[in-house]
Amino acid sequence: MDVFGSFALLLAFVCAVYAFVGGIFAIRTRHPLLVKSTRQAGMATCGLIFIATFSLVYLFFSDSYWVAYVVAHSNRDLSTFYKISALWAGQEGSLLFWSFLLAIYVFSALFAYRNKNGELMPYVGVVLAGVQIFFLTLNNFVASPFKVLASPGANGALDIYTRADGNGLTPLLQYPEMVIHPPNLYSGYTGFAIPFAFALGALLARYPGEKWIHLTRKWTMIAWCFQTAGILLGAHWAYAVLGWGGYWGWDPVENASLLPWLTGTAFLHSVMMQEKRGMMKVWNVWLVFLTFMLCILGTTLTRSGIVSSVHAFAQSSIGDWFVGFLAVIFLVCLTAYIKNRDYLKSENQLDSIVSRESSFLFNNLILLVSCVAVLSGTLFPVFSEWVSGSRISVGAPFFNKVNIPIGLLLLALTGLGPLLAWRKTSTESLKRNFLWPLILSLVFGAIVFALGLREFYSLICIILCVFVAATIAMEFFRGARVVRARTGLSWISSTVDLTLRNTRRYGGYIVHMGMVLIFVGLAGAAFNKDVQKEMRPGSTLQIGRYNLLLQNLDSRPEKNYTAERMIIEVFENNKPTMMLYPERRFFPTNEESGTMVAIYSTLRDDLYVVYAGQSPENQTPVIHAYLNPLVKWVWFGGAIVVMGTLVALLPNRRTVLALAGSMQPAAVTELGTVLAPSRTATLREGHD
Amino acid sequence: MTSPLHKRARRFATMILASFGAFFLLTGVAIAQQSERTREVGKKVRCMCGGCNDSASTCYHVGGEFSGPCGKAKAELKEIDDKVLKGDSDDAILQSFVQQYGSEVYVEPPKRGLSLVAWLLPSIYLVVGTVVVIFVISRWRSRVHHDFAPAAASGASHPGISAAELEQARQRVARETED
Repeated sequence: MDVFGSFALLLAFVCAVYAFVGGIFAIRTRHPLLVKSTRQAGMATCGLIFIATFSLVYLFFSDSYWVAYVVAHSNRDLSTFYKISALWAGQEGSLLFWSFLLAIYVFSALFAYRNKNGELMPYVGVVLAGVQIFFLTLNNFVASPFKVLASPGANGALDIYTRADGNGLTPLLQYPEMVIHPPNLYSGYTGFAIPFAFALGALLARYPGEKWIHLTRKWTMIAWCFQTAGILLGAHWAYAVLGWGGYWGWDPVENASLLPWLTGTAFLHSVMMQEKRGMMKVWNVWLVFLTFMLCILGTTLTRSGIVSSVHAFAQSSIGDWFVGFLAVIFLVCLTAYIKNRDYLKSENQLDSIVSRESSFLFNNLILLVSCVAVLSGTLFPVFSEWVSGSRISVGAPFFNKVNIPIGLLLLALTGLGPLLAWRKTSTESLKRNFLWPLILSLVFGAIVFALGLREFYSLICIILCVFVAATIAMEFFRGARVVRARTGLSWISSTVDLTLRNTRRYGGYIVHMGMVLIFVGLAGAAFNKDVQKEMRPGSTLQIGRYNLLLQNLDSRPEKNYTAERMIIEVFENNKPTMMLYPERRFFPTNEESGTMVAIYSTLRDDLYVVYAGQSPENQTPVIHAYLNPLVKWVWFGGAIVVMGTLVALLPNRRTVLALAGSMQPAAVTELGTVLAPSRTATLREGHD
Repeated sequence: MTSPLHKRARRFATMILASFGAFFLLTGVAIAQQSERTREVGKKVRCMCGGCNDSASTCYHVGGEFSGPCGKAKAELKEIDDKVLKGDSDDAILQSFVQQYGSEVYVEPPKRGLSLVAWLLPSIYLVVGTVVVIFVISRWRSRVHHDFAPAAASGASHPGISAAELEQARQRVARETED
């Protein structure tokens, strides 16, 4: 199977080269057969990558311990569930996994548009084939996952040998999140290749206007949704597994995943400027280019060893390949832009500073400033070493100080922007949209201040969260009221109907509401507490309103590890509440240890208990307990963001037709007039 | 009835007990403060194991001893604790680490020298970005008077290509694409 997989990868490389070179000829000659054959070569490339990936998965399941990658990342006792995640546990496998996910996107795009956009698709196909050639070069010639174990034989030839068992999977990866976090994150990274290919293809094909944005909007949202879910799952993994009580440590690899998310978010907002007003065309093209380049940069940082990180793969020369690829992408984009920039001129002007257009500009400014600040902070150690010879480290406190004010500005714009009208916002409209949310948020701020909240940023954050939530709630209320008045539906049905009628706009509001909940959770981090104590059975530990009684310790052997656990009874305000079982696990195969944190999570706070080992002096068990306020809101908010994005991806329900069955013709006509937005009304609406 | 001698003896005994109590209480508090202070100073000093980006106090990195600071971070915390017990100030402790490891040991770059650049850059980005946005807004607004009014009259809004070419390109796109 290793030969089969290896051959499939090689054949995929050949097909990709044909799709690329043949595609260029097809663009030049416009020969229909050549166009068709290069498209099919592109699809065949994807099929062959699928075969290679499944071959590697099969090698894991069949315990093929003559394949070096399988030996390094699996063992016989590893559960089937984690044998899947072993696929991306190392450099070679994760690069193949990149190719695999990219192939899914490429195949989907080529298949979906096989009979459409005949002039544009060859350009798109060439760009995608170019990206695939790069990754297949790595898969075949630089970091092949199908290398076998071999030693020199008696006659000088290499003999393949088989190991009895593998080295096992890193304990830190043996958690459920690690089976879903990397696929999500990688799907985000690879997904941005599609809008990138369409943007570059449209520029090369000299397409003016926003056609490529119409074509790729959903692809961009899918990639963004995966990226968001991937980042949040990664944060949850760090929280539940690493045992340090936090979920975001501004590690370079965490930062690398955040960078394309920030520019991708900026793009999702600024595309509306191009769609509605024919503005920011150059900016949008470069935002897509930048987002894809940041995806590649993130991968470069993870794999090159340029910056030290807990997540990074082993230091290797593979980073040079990525730097070279990044340089090629930049030069191609720059050349295409310089040659064809005349086709990207704006079609409209700005009528007023107080308008949706301005808010989008400032939204993009703040997202980009945050992105560049994170990037420069991440690379500053490298820069300082280059300039002065000594490395200056930039840790979490720096990123917190820089990004908290930026995040709050962004939160404020989340409330302001969607309710400003396109072109110009009247004073009356400002008053109607913002007066009550402003009053409500200030009153709430005064209440929490009176209750003792003195942390400046947390106070501002809570005030802004209430403000934004109120503006969003008002938008839903107003829309649902109109639907309810016309149809007689209940409030809930009216709200659902309203949302399904304009999924993009109301899905966007749901995403914003999710972000508000995430910010509420982040505000709680200022009040984290922790206590560390040596404890014997029968002793207690007090943290906040909780009292922890260590009842006993026990040990249980599992298939792949031995678990030693604490049995802790939790009392809340002196009432028995629940049992917690924090564990330490020892994995004999690779002689490594891991933790299983016990968390009692409520909307108010998380009681987070770690079995932190034994005191070196007297072998007494050590417990590290944290009380982290509002953390659950972060995960809850993340789920809402993903849900909102899925809603925004749904096609709009045709309201008039849907309601026509239950109403008289005259009423249908009247409703149609109300709901069908005029040009002016459309311009004044939110996220549509 | 209690004699004055007894009263004095009881007062003396109370004072002795109170002094002992205060001594133990204060010693306990001092130990607790030192321990807390060690952790606080440890948050300003990077774990220098080379495998992570954490501070000595918050080190839980992969490859470290499970769920706790790695060996290097523990050694650094011990060194801080010794210096705290000796009575060194936070700054003196930090400086001793800088002498050993260089400026890389800071978790947060100090606000002087080259490190100051790291702190200034985000503000510079914000200022430059704001200037650019204001410039773009003013340019878009002035287009009302310059680009669009004459363009509408002359039919040429884009200097690089003619309006006819642009219109042809638009029609081509409409022909060649479908959602």
